[in-house]
Parts: sequence; structure tokens; C-alpha cells
Amino acid sequence: MNAVLITIPLALLLLALAVGAFFWAVDHGQFDDLNTPGLLPLDEVQKDAPRDDPEDSAP
Amino acid sequence: MCCHGCRAAAEWIEQLGLGDYYSLRTEPATKPDPADAADRNGCLAWQRDELAEHVVRDLGEGRRETMLFVEGIRCTACVWLIERSLQSLSGVATVQVNALARRARITWIDRQVSLSQILERLARTGYRAWPLHAKALDDLRRHEARDALKRLVVAGFGAMQAMMFAAALYLRGADALDASADALFRWLGFIVATPVVLYSAAPFFKAARRSLAARRLSMDVPVAAAIALIYAASLFEALRGGGHVYFDSVSMFVFFLLAGRYLEMRARHHAGDLVDALARLTPSVADRRRQDHSLERVGVHELRAGDRVHVGEGGLVPADGVLLSATCRVDEALVSGESAPIVRRCGDVLIAGSVLVDGPVDLQVERVGADTVLAGIANLVERAQVERPQLARAGEQATGRFVVRVLSLTVLTAAVWSVIDPSRAFAAALAVLVVSCPCAFALAVPAVITRALTVLAQCGVLVVKPDAIAALAQISHVVFDKTGTLTMPRLTDVETFNDASPERALRLAAALARESSHPLARAIAAACHEVALPAAAQVSSKAGLGITGIVEGRELKLGSSRFVAPDRHWPSHADAILLADPTGVIAAFHLSEQLRPGMREVIDQLKEQGLQLHILSGDAPAKVADVAAKLDIANWRARVSPAEKLSELVTMRAQGARVLVVGDGVNDAPVLAGADVGVALASGAEIARASSDIVLAGERLSALVTARRIARESMAVIQQNHRWALLYNLAAMPLAALGLVPPWLAALGMSFSSLCVIGNALRIGRKGSTVTAPAPPPLHATPRAA
Repeated sequence: MNAVLITIPLALLLLALAVGAFFWAVDHGQFDDLNTPGLLPLDEVQKDAPRDDPEDSAP
Repeated sequence: MCCHGCRAAAEWIEQLGLGDYYSLRTEPATKPDPADAADRNGCLAWQRDELAEHVVRDLGEGRRETMLFVEGIRCTACVWLIERSLQSLSGVATVQVNALARRARITWIDRQVSLSQILERLARTGYRAWPLHAKALDDLRRHEARDALKRLVVAGFGAMQAMMFAAALYLRGADALDASADALFRWLGFIVATPVVLYSAAPFFKAARRSLAARRLSMDVPVAAAIALIYAASLFEALRGGGHVYFDSVSMFVFFLLAGRYLEMRARHHAGDLVDALARLTPSVADRRRQDHSLERVGVHELRAGDRVHVGEGGLVPADGVLLSATCRVDEALVSGESAPIVRRCGDVLIAGSVLVDGPVDLQVERVGADTVLAGIANLVERAQVERPQLARAGEQATGRFVVRVLSLTVLTAAVWSVIDPSRAFAAALAVLVVSCPCAFALAVPAVITRALTVLAQCGVLVVKPDAIAALAQISHVVFDKTGTLTMPRLTDVETFNDASPERALRLAAALARESSHPLARAIAAACHEVALPAAAQVSSKAGLGITGIVEGRELKLGSSRFVAPDRHWPSHADAILLADPTGVIAAFHLSEQLRPGMREVIDQLKEQGLQLHILSGDAPAKVADVAAKLDIANWRARVSPAEKLSELVTMRAQGARVLVVGDGVNDAPVLAGADVGVALASGAEIARASSDIVLAGERLSALVTARRIARESMAVIQQNHRWALLYNLAAMPLAALGLVPPWLAALGMSFSSLCVIGNALRIGRKGSTVTAPAPPPLHATPRAA
């Protein structure tokens, strides 16, 4: 019974932390687009690609 | 009555005996709720003309129109409320609200009422409204999605925890916890259920309060009542220190309800994206004349008053302006709703968004702004969306009647039990309230329609009029236009007379042909690779025959032999396109037609679905027969004028056929509009798209087969959903009324039943391989060489 008295407040605390973290994530746009990020790894053209290309085509 | 929705609403109000409410309401003083100061200032800002001109369209004669985004529309009852409350404002002509897109289209008479007054009235009714701006819309959508997700997750966490603490209470018999531990777990349940009820369920309370304030009953009323009752009763029991608490039930109830709403919201946002996509189908560009009369393509937003703009046949007028050419006919259906083309002469005003039916023209721009091409086409699509499908309207009425029955049954249950056994009255009444699922009825149709629209859009089938889904499932006949639809014309040979060179003849013909949107004309224009074509002046066209104009000072005619040289018989050139000047025929263009790739398979699949196929073409019999033989279509008619096509269609429909028409040209427009389902190709003339119910993007007719299959599937799912909702409610309500269902089981049953309806709708288009996926966005998935 004594263990319960410790674990329950701990559980509630963790719950509050989890909800807080989730709210932060939502407010920072982590859940705005759930479709596009899944496709991004398939895109081979990285941001640094334009920097590579001139070197390849340089005479 | 502005639409069927209003009529349905009014009938329903009459049934409830609430009709008097609105006659009282026409007195503005009867509702003196003070709007808060900030809101009022926000409304007043719209009185400034500079601000309003971007969102308000002048319809002439003092009539103005705007599209509002209304925040807080939760269900169809809100739609009725907004429609009725605005219509009681004197000077407001029409109000159409689309709950799905949360938009309201309002027209009013400027002298009697102003936009700011309308907004203020809406604010007093309890809805915040914004005149529509694309950007603002996006932000609101994002805000709404984030809000819903937060509420859902809080409810989910709360429900899990409450369940855990409740489990300790349910299982206490074995462990023999003492009374203080019992109390501890009850209060823990209270702690986790409180945020769920006060935060997650807040939208239900707000909507219910609004609906009660307007003295009407929406789906939210029984839901909010149930949540409040369970929570209050549990709190009372916890304070009293005995009996059963339902904190777990109430959390679960809220969680499942929110889960259903969340899915519905996602679908609704998808539908909103679809509207945007349709609006983007039409490029917002215009052809502006430079000083030297050559044309340049510019964005509509670059146009300024005083510019000269050129509009091709079947094109949209990009801005308000004065006609400089002699005469033309325009279809102003987009703007005024009047579908018959109107003749405009030199000096008349052309309205942005109207479609040019014949003859390319020049006009001088007078006004730009909210009256752009984009606004025009988006207007069309949104108007189509506001016209709620008949299926949905019927569903709404059913839901309304159902809510009334549930509330009366709850009261009855409570009354009967309080006579028999007062201690069980509360639990039984609660069970009836919770177990009944108006959501299953309310969601049955919209869930399916939104899902079907999304799936169809993914296959490249853009449904402009949602009624088309029901109609598509029932079609029995398919009528194809030949040229441009079944076949793609290609120039094969140029034969010249009077010693003209083929290149020169083609140059002249192309200069004229590019003014027309007819597929044959486009094929000729496409065959000429020369960049600097001479400009054609005084071009006018006759639908189905040909086109005339002045190129390099020569008066030219381009078209079929009947049109170009009616006095002479051209037996060997019956199918050719002739080019002539007043001295005689210059050249003959021979075009061969190729079937669109994959057409044969499409035809076979359509036949497999048991459809009767027809070809109605304005072309020569030999060519039509050839195509019909290749595609194995027995029913065909050649040399049919647009009017004859329409009368043929009327005959077919009179014989009980449900006809789908596929076409792409200007001359197909009346037939498309007159068909049960009109299907236009995205590449076709704008007027064809404007008169159709469905637009095929990407020109793949194979999508038609998929579309019909999905439409049939949708109709089947709607039936299943209705049967399920009916069966569930008929089975569960008597049990609940007899006191056999504990409230927690009732909450589970109701949520389960809504989720079944939504899940069933999501099944549409899932049957795997037969749905042709659209070409994915160009991702560079091939590995690069190192």
C-alpha cells in the first residue's frame, strides 16, 4: 500500500509532463503535416545537392 | 428560401413548433446580447472600403456578395441557425452555409445593410466570422487541427488513467481495500477526469449552449447533457463517499467522441484542400496586348486598369472590362447564375469570371481585385460545394428527428423508473442518453462523401458537384464525344492549291487556329513549330463549323468544307480542314486520329460494368464508324450538332436511361450540363469544365472506371451505415431503457457505433490494387552514381 502512495503521484507527475511535452510539440508544428515528412527520406535531392553539381559539371 | 437546405431546416423547425421563434426574431431588439468591444471593433474595420474591396464582389444594382469563413460551425444545426439569423437581417438577400467547408456565401443589398453589420450579427449569434482570405484560412485550419489534437490526447491520457484507477475499485472485492483507499481511488479518478471534462469536452458544451440559446436541438445537446450528468453524479457520489462513480466512463465517452470528430475534421480539411486544388486547375493568367499588338502572358494580378487583354474562345474573362471587339457571346453563369449565353457588343462591360462562348475578343480592363479569374473559378467550385448533396440533406433531417426522439425517450425512461424504482431512474435515463447514437446517423453520409471525394481526387477525378457521386453510381449509359475525348487528332499532311507553300499555308492556318480551343484547331496550331506567328484580327468562330479572321491583311476562313466552301463540292476533302481566302481555297489539312492510349481497355472495362456505350460526334460518318469499330461500340451517330446531341440525350433520359457524358469541347458544354453526370477533361475548354459535374485531371479516362466503382461502393457503404445505425439504436435503446445497460457500457457502445460508421467509410477505396494510384510527386528515388 505504501508503494502505491509513491507510485501514484509519480504517475500523475509523469502524465503531466507527457501532456506538457505533447502540447509543446503540437505548438511547434510537429503534428501539422503527418504525410509529407514520411516522403522526405525518399527524396534524394538533398539541400547540399546544388553545391555538388557545379563541381561535377566544371570543365 | 435560398436553397433546399433552408427548406429542410424550415420544415424541421415547423415540425418542432418552433416556427414562431423566428418571426419574433426579425425584431433586432429582441436579442440584445452585447458583443464584446474587441469583436465589435473587428467588425467595424470592414466598413472601410479599402479593406472591403478585396473580399466583396459587387453584383451590380447595389447587390454585394462575400464569402465568409465562420469559426465554430460544429454541426448542421449551426448552419440553419446562421442562415436563419442572417436572413432576418433586412437587406440580406441570400445566405448559403457550407458546414463541411465552414464557409458562408452571403449576398446583400448595400444600401440597407453593410458587411460590418452582418459580421456583428454573426458575432452576436455566437459565431466569429472572417471575410475569406486564402492565407487566413490556412492558419485557421492549422489552429483548429492543433486544438483538436490537444483535446484528443488529453482525453486519451485521462481516459487511460481513469480506467486504471477505476479498475482498482472494480477489483477491490478480492483485495479488501479499506474505505479510505476506496475514497483515494475515487478522488484520483476525479483528478484525471476533470481536465477531460473541462478542457477536452469544452467544445461540446459550447456548441450545446449555443444551440440551446437559439432554442434548437443539435447533436451536441444530448452529448453535453450526458457528459455533465455523469460527471456531476459521480462527483456527488464521491463527496457522499459511497455508491458508484463513473469517472472512467465519462473520460472514455469524451475520448471516443473526440476521436470520431478528429477523423471527421481531417476528412473535412482534405475536402478543403480539394477545393484549393480545383481552384488551381485554372492558371490565373491573361494575355495582355503590348503596344505593337503582340500578346504577352501575364499573371492576373499584374493587370492594371487600362490594359488591353485578349481572350480566346471558351476562355475566362480575367478582369472586368469594356469590350473592344465588335460582338461576342458570354456565359455569365459563374457570376450571375444565369446559364444562357448573353450577347455583348462593342462598348459593353464584360464581367470577370464569365466564359466567352464564341469568338476571341479584346477588352480594356477597368477593374481588378477580388474579381479575378481565380476568384471566378473558385467561386464556381465553392458554390457547388455549398449546394449540399441531396443525400446529406436527407441525413440531416433524419438526425434532427432522431435527437428529438432520444430526448423524449430519456425523459420518459426517467419518469417511468421514478415510479417503479427511483434509485435506478438516474442510471437508466443516463444509459438511454448515452447509448443512443445520433452521431452514427449524422456521420453516415458525410463520412462516406468526404472519403469518396478524397479517394476520387487521389485518382485524378475531381468531383465538382457532390451529387454526382450518387448519380454516378446509377448511370446506365455512357455517351462519348469522339474528337478530343476518345481520339487525339494529329496533322499528317498539308495539301496546297494556288502554288502556296505548305509551310506558309500552315503558318497562316496556325495563326488562326490558335484562337480556337477545338481539338482539331489545337492539333493544327501544335503542328506549326514557328515561334513568331502573325497576329489574327477580327477573329470569330462558329461552333462546330470553323473560324474566320484577318491574318496579314488577308481575310481567311478555316474549317470544314461545308463552312469554308459551301458552294463547291469537295468529295475527296470531306474530312479535311480547309483554309481559304476570298479568292479560293489555299490548302487542305489532313488530320488522322489516334485513339487515346489505353482507350480499348477502358471501353472493355466499362462494358464489363454493364454500361451501354454510345458515340455522338459532329464528325464525318466514315471516321466515327472507324473509331466505333476499333473500340467495338455498336451505337454511334455522326454529324450531330450540339443541339441534336442534347435532344438525343433528352430522348435517352426520357426512356429511363441515366446518362454520363464525356466531352471536352465548347460545343459539348450544353450536353455536359444536361446529362445526369457530365465529365469533362481538365485540358478541355473552360466552359466544358464549368458545365460538368466531374473533371478528369491528367486526361486519363481509365479513372472513369475507378470512379464508377468507388461511387457504387460509396452508395453501398452509405446503406450499410444507415442500416447499422438503425439496427444499433433499435437494439440498444430498449435495453438501456429497461435499465440493463450500465452507463460505462453505454458510452462504449455509442462510441463504438460512431467509430464503426467512420471506419466503414474509410474502407472505400481500400480494396487495393484496382485503385490506380496517381503519379507520385517527382521524387528522385533512383540511386545516384557515386
